[in-house]
Amino acid sequence: MTETVTLHIDGVSYEVPAGMNLVDAARVYAGVEIPVFCYHPKLEPVGMCRMCLVDIGFEMRDRESGELLLNEDGTPQIRWGRKLETACTTTVRAGMHVRTMTEPVQEARKDVLEFLLSSHPLDCPICDKGGECPLQSLTMRHGPATSRMVLEDKMHLAKHVPLGDLIYLDRERCIQCARCIRFQDEIVGDDVLAFHERGRRLQIVTISDPPFDTYFSGNTTDICPVGALTTADFRFGARPWELQDVPSICPHCPVGCNIVASTRLDRDAGGVKVIKRILPRQNEAVNEIWICDKGRFGHHHSLSPDRLAAPLIRKNGELVEASWDEAIQAAAEGLQAAGKNVGVIAGPMLSNEDLWGLRELAEGLGSKRLGLWPASLGDAKPLDEVGVASGTNFAALGKGDAVLVIATDLEEEAPIWYLRVKQAADRGAALIVANTRTTKLDHYAAQTLRFAVGGAADVLNGLTAAAIGQKWIAEDLIESRVSGFGDLQKALKNVSGGDEDAAEVLARAENLVIVAGNDGLDAEGHTALLQAAANFLIVTGHVGRAHNGLLPVWPGANTQGALDLGYESADTRRMLSRTPRALLVAGADIAADPAGAKALQKADFVVCMTLFPDATAEAADVVLPIQSTTERDGTFTNAERRVQRFYTAHGPLGESLSAWEAAALLGQHFGLPAPRYNPALVMKAIAAAVKPYADISFPALTAAEVQMPPIGEAKGFYGGTARPPIGGTGIQLPARSEGRGKLHVKPVDAPGAFEVGEDELLVVPVRRLYDRTPEFASSKLMHDRIPQPFVALNEADAARLGVASGDTVEVSADGAAVTVTAVVDDYAPQGVAFLPLRLSADPFPMIPVTGTVTRVAEALPVGD
Amino acid sequence: MNVIRGFATTLKHLFMEPVTYQYPEEERPFRDRYKGRHVLKRYDNGLEKCIGCALCAAACPADAIWVEAAENTDEERYSPGERYAKTYEINMLRCIFCGYCADACPTEAIVLEHEHRLSFTNRRDAIYTKTELLEPPPEGMPGTPRQVEPGTFDRAIPEMEDPK
Amino acid sequence: MLKDKYPDRIEAIFAKYPDKRSAVMPLLYLAQEEYGYITPEAYREIGEMIGVDPTQVQSIAGFYTMFREEPKGKYWIQVCTDLPCALRGADEFYQALLEELNVEDGGTTEDGLFTVEQVMCLAACDKAPMLQCNFHYHENLDMDIMRELIAEWRAKAQAEADTDDTAEEA
Repeated sequence: MTETVTLHIDGVSYEVPAGMNLVDAARVYAGVEIPVFCYHPKLEPVGMCRMCLVDIGFEMRDRESGELLLNEDGTPQIRWGRKLETACTTTVRAGMHVRTMTEPVQEARKDVLEFLLSSHPLDCPICDKGGECPLQSLTMRHGPATSRMVLEDKMHLAKHVPLGDLIYLDRERCIQCARCIRFQDEIVGDDVLAFHERGRRLQIVTISDPPFDTYFSGNTTDICPVGALTTADFRFGARPWELQDVPSICPHCPVGCNIVASTRLDRDAGGVKVIKRILPRQNEAVNEIWICDKGRFGHHHSLSPDRLAAPLIRKNGELVEASWDEAIQAAAEGLQAAGKNVGVIAGPMLSNEDLWGLRELAEGLGSKRLGLWPASLGDAKPLDEVGVASGTNFAALGKGDAVLVIATDLEEEAPIWYLRVKQAADRGAALIVANTRTTKLDHYAAQTLRFAVGGAADVLNGLTAAAIGQKWIAEDLIESRVSGFGDLQKALKNVSGGDEDAAEVLARAENLVIVAGNDGLDAEGHTALLQAAANFLIVTGHVGRAHNGLLPVWPGANTQGALDLGYESADTRRMLSRTPRALLVAGADIAADPAGAKALQKADFVVCMTLFPDATAEAADVVLPIQSTTERDGTFTNAERRVQRFYTAHGPLGESLSAWEAAALLGQHFGLPAPRYNPALVMKAIAAAVKPYADISFPALTAAEVQMPPIGEAKGFYGGTARPPIGGTGIQLPARSEGRGKLHVKPVDAPGAFEVGEDELLVVPVRRLYDRTPEFASSKLMHDRIPQPFVALNEADAARLGVASGDTVEVSADGAAVTVTAVVDDYAPQGVAFLPLRLSADPFPMIPVTGTVTRVAEALPVGD
Repeated sequence: MNVIRGFATTLKHLFMEPVTYQYPEEERPFRDRYKGRHVLKRYDNGLEKCIGCALCAAACPADAIWVEAAENTDEERYSPGERYAKTYEINMLRCIFCGYCADACPTEAIVLEHEHRLSFTNRRDAIYTKTELLEPPPEGMPGTPRQVEPGTFDRAIPEMEDPK
Repeated sequence: MLKDKYPDRIEAIFAKYPDKRSAVMPLLYLAQEEYGYITPEAYREIGEMIGVDPTQVQSIAGFYTMFREEPKGKYWIQVCTDLPCALRGADEFYQALLEELNVEDGGTTEDGLFTVEQVMCLAACDKAPMLQCNFHYHENLDMDIMRELIAEWRAKAQAEADTDDTAEEA
């Protein structure tokens, strides 16, 4: 346990951990609020604003005997500091006495505030921060009632300086605390903000290209203690006290960031509730108090005018609007005709309740075909055993621990994990990044490993072989619980070339988390990677305890939930090759993949449940409008297997229904019971049927863990708009390795490298954070930030093909073709072309395929 | 005796001037502090004083005021500074004419004037919108929105005197 | 591009420091010498050379008064008007100088010869009013001395322009 010391604040003594920051110690242990502006518990203290000045003294001791000197009344003598000191740069020590309410302290606060306000515009009535502004509330609490400043002498500065497309700077309001700059520098590592000039002219600038080039810019507006940084999205949207905060979960990626949707009625939207802004909700185990800009600004899909508002049915070859009754009738007839030959393909944005509803329907129809979209995911069985153990938290990783990030570009696929892994590396955890190309995380890595496209499992096989060879293994665990070790050992005997340095760092780490994606892998390669990672973790004993295990980077928010509820990517692949007579596609734009588009054509009858009238809907016979995350209650299971609940923030768009309800309405035609009254009952059914979910219920999910440091508190002590954990922090399902059962390792046959013909390139799809899926592109604010469709080519390949950077090229493979701009650099290895997914509407395979790149048009001579 | 005294009083009053006003032909003068229907004021140059800060709505004990704000541009300017009221509605059935809104207003944009003849035939008519509340621009001044020289009206809160 | 034009000088600058980042100031001087002032392009070039975001380079240049981010005249006059100098009449001196040259605060004369701006402490408080012209100090000034200096600089510029002309003709 950490050592504690006695700290005396205003005459009362408290036991606090030694070395704790004084501001935090006072806040947490004594309930004493030392006001701060520049200090933030997530950032290094700098002592810039001087707001936290307090009187600090130490107990006096006799120089010779070392005994405490006492006053006549028996209290210790205290030598007080000659001047006030900043609490934020002071750590707690034994014998420390602090006075926070003496006259000099109060006077100092008053003076600091008078000084800060001397050049503040005091335009609180029009400021987006007004009402939740630390400068405002601390002025009310500690500030002077009047100012000696002559108002005419106030310096007027620019009030509307865009820092990029998303953030506005008001130079007058800035109090120069540098929280934004320090956040970008310390936490994100994109040091694209800086101070310019000196004195009152000091201003925040950015000249990166594009300006404020980072995925985390919105967080600076949260921690800004004044209204200097505000978002373009919320600008003048409402006053903070008019908003209703509804807890929700970000639907965009597998991290499952806790957010709140701040809602208000809106006249322009027809007098209904709309989301005015998204704020982070504190959950130290998931997203701390940060969210990425995709989560913050990408919420406009929920009430987008492009969304499907009413069911459609196909009449005489045309999709026409219909009532729910007609649509359900039509869908039921179509499914009836197919008999048992029906399959369901579900996307990763559906809630657990939706997925269960669809499963009940499929089972009612007599089908067991539950496909998960996308079709490129491997077998996730090893995860049940070696998935990160409950209680795992990146924030706990530091010196002596290790993280292996393999086959994923975390910044693009799960930005908050990028942030947290980067910080773990900053704290001293050994970070090893393995990929086919450079990613931004490489910069923080102790070591980077490169492998050929498809060879991710080879890397781990090599590491396992090296670990076994050098006996960096958990022998007790292997002896007592592991089955299949002999086979593995035999199979790895001839494997060499594993990086021994990396193997040693990883195998001998106190705690190890492997973060594995499927970047550049097909299903076979992904299956191999997951099993190989499981082998390494089990053999080296990094399973079954907190801060250890395998963390998959799934392509969507609820992929893990779908896997838990019996959906499999392999089923989707089977359905794509041997298409059932009727397909029910929910929340998955399968037409974006040529194989999916083909299956849609082959199936006799297609029911599509969707938010947007996408290409899949166009190919369907019946289209049912379903609801997005913020329109209803439900749960997501994030990739750490944390089941988290989201709540209804606003009314449904048009006639849309939850997918589970739509499925149940359909089921009624096949003798299934009527729809349940609410999603809580669906979760009850899941809990009864699916073992890991036995303890999950909606009421249980409302429980919130205590958050330390208490940043999101309603009073906003640290100044920031991150919200407290209202609505629950979720329940993490344990991994099987946490029990006593056997652990299974088995040899992995890594699939060989992809065969590429003479004039061909290997076209490898990669995921980008900002893409043109309607779920994201309906946030118009982000359009300029979404890259134009491009393909990254190696210089040598480009020279061979006669393609220069900026040329328009056609990339074709498997009968699909897209026209994109070529980007030529040393990013792609030779023979490989990286093609970001979903930047254009044209379908393209979602796994590495061989294809050709041909030049269509030359680059424009100037610009672009 | 008492009867006679009664008649005398009656007789006396017969010759006194009556206090009755023949409303609506005749109107009683208002006290300055009378609080009637709200008016949204303009500056002398015709720009709206209201900046859409919604402090009136926050102060309103009857929850009668609804404000939605939007951003001014120099091409389409409603009020000085960055922000103006896009929607401004007062539900006169809810209003208790306490005048807190006027007290809360940082730009003295909302004033309870002397109009008191409020009658409605349905509830919807009781909601006064910005068009009804906003006073007409002063003689010879253009209304809003209007195009202005960039950089002329960049302050939302009018310059106020130094506190004494 | 600085990198292409002065590879040797840049090499020499980098050789002086253990860390590339430390070379930012000499590189900024080099850029100012080359472009006359520090252009946004220069920030990108230097940022790329030393491996930091251009914003950080701009931040450093912005902190110091030796770097100017707008085009400047041939003679770059910086008058210190911090408190000690102000007590010795620097403000009045500065105003008089502006009037003499007929420029605005921070502006450049029409002939492009003089740029006048006020800066913070130049560490010559005891000899105020003082100014720095192209990094040379001129101390204990009054307007009479100043007029002489200006005349001297004008003459010098004229002479240089004449030799340039003759050189071109030849």
